[in-house]
Amino acid sequence: MPKLSVILCCFVFLHLSNKVQSQKTEVIYQTYTINSQEKNDTAITRLLKPYTDNLQKHLQTIIGFSTRALYKKMPESSLGNFLADGIKSIAEKLFEQKIDIACINYGSIKHFIPKGDIVMNDIYQLFPYDSYLVLQQIDGYNLQLFLNKIVEQGGWPISGIKLSIKDKQAVDILINNEPLNINTTYTLACNDYIAKGGNGCFMLKQLPSINKGFLLRDVVIDYIKQQTKLGNPIEAKTDKRITNTL
Amino acid sequence: MQRRKFIKDTTLAGSALLASSLYPFNFLQASINKQTHHFTILHTNDTHSMLEPFANDAKYNAGLGGITSRSAYINEIRTVVEHVLLLDAGDIFQDSAYFNLYKGEPEIKVMNFLQYDAATIGEKDFSAGIDNLALQIAKANFPFIISNYEFTNTPLEEKTVPYVIIKKGMIKIGILGIGINLIDLIPNNFFGNTKFKNPIRTANEVAEKLKKENCDFIICLSHLGDKYDDDTLSDEILAKENFFIDLIIGGHTHKFFKQPRKYFNRNGYVTVVNQAGWGGLQLGRLDYKIQQTKNKNLHKNETILIREKNGE
Repeated sequence: MPKLSVILCCFVFLHLSNKVQSQKTEVIYQTYTINSQEKNDTAITRLLKPYTDNLQKHLQTIIGFSTRALYKKMPESSLGNFLADGIKSIAEKLFEQKIDIACINYGSIKHFIPKGDIVMNDIYQLFPYDSYLVLQQIDGYNLQLFLNKIVEQGGWPISGIKLSIKDKQAVDILINNEPLNINTTYTLACNDYIAKGGNGCFMLKQLPSINKGFLLRDVVIDYIKQQTKLGNPIEAKTDKRITNTL
Repeated sequence: MQRRKFIKDTTLAGSALLASSLYPFNFLQASINKQTHHFTILHTNDTHSMLEPFANDAKYNAGLGGITSRSAYINEIRTVVEHVLLLDAGDIFQDSAYFNLYKGEPEIKVMNFLQYDAATIGEKDFSAGIDNLALQIAKANFPFIISNYEFTNTPLEEKTVPYVIIKKGMIKIGILGIGINLIDLIPNNFFGNTKFKNPIRTANEVAEKLKKENCDFIICLSHLGDKYDDDTLSDEILAKENFFIDLIIGGHTHKFFKQPRKYFNRNGYVTVVNQAGWGGLQLGRLDYKIQQTKNKNLHKNETILIREKNGE
């Protein structure tokens, strides 16, 4: 019966070509909070040991010596001045250009520099997270807004500038010993956090920035090493670059 | 009931003889209809070089996280589950001194040891430059999947793949990777000549290709971020705008999901999105149950049941 076998073949073909589909019926979720006090895999500890040991050695490397501890304080502090001056100096070297102002936000500094030997780890504690050094071209008008924002929050680490705080506004501003000019464009070195508008710095957000991936922490390490090489101890003082007018 | 319907249909076709001769086929079909498969997805994201746990005197997360501990949790699951897929959604690098010193080598070596199946690339993975990323990826035993970055004439050319297909038991799993736009996010010199393709269009093209390759399940590793207040592209938008993705494993926004989020995609099927915080503090786990069926008409608006795992 050829007719029947043709029907049969067609049927079998149709049947097999009916593709297998996958139907997802259920998903059961669970989230594990990784608790190192509960369980650990010692195989990983062994695998990492050479890296961990070497890292500890690296973090204890002495890079400088301080005659006294440096702390941060508002509106101006020894630590703030040291960092801002160092950032300005190293930024000029890295970007190969003159920089008018260097500034980082107060909150970006997480620790202090202890008295005596300064080790790599101290700078990691100062800046535990990776943030970048950024250059911005800022006109006098926006610079005034930026400085107002800084004094409104109590005064941040800054270099290349002298100013007074009056009624929460920045007044008597001197840049390179000249009064702030609304029509002049200045070069500002700062951390990427405020350049992106962080901490209320909306006036910086709109400005183009140059970020070549230099870490702020590395910049400060560079500066300390440079001072040590020159035979200078790490010291800094307040010099009335930001003063409160009553 | 189904069998009776089958016999009725063939009777209408005009041959009782045919019906009886096809009886074994019907039997076979019934058995295929009932095939159920299980596999488990374990996932991390934004681990940020945090190989060590948070310090015991830390203000937050004291004693939590750490790669030695993560390994112990993964090992435990592997002893009880047969088909495990271990994935990472990017930002493996940066934000611990390990990365500043070693540029990612120990992170990759440990992930090899933990037998990661695949990872995608986050913007922080470029943090020691594109040359370094190429150097570190070369040390990985697992593929880096990125579908929407074009690396021609960069050190990453041919170092990554646009997708992979992995078989777990009877289930064929296709995985693609979608990265965030790097422009204005990281310094230009970090990614060099990398070009970006439209994430949604690329995801749909690659997922369709995986579907045509008969993948039973399609995963997108994404570093877009779960969702934003504005119309910035996110996992939520991708979940609604795709056609074939079953699951998006996300990252970038460091969100601790209370439970996976469920969206209906453009085909009317479910796309699930999940994310597991950051810093190696969490490990996400999803146990999937899949039924292979010859039923042509899968239910539209397939209501996949999402529920929390009760204590083992």
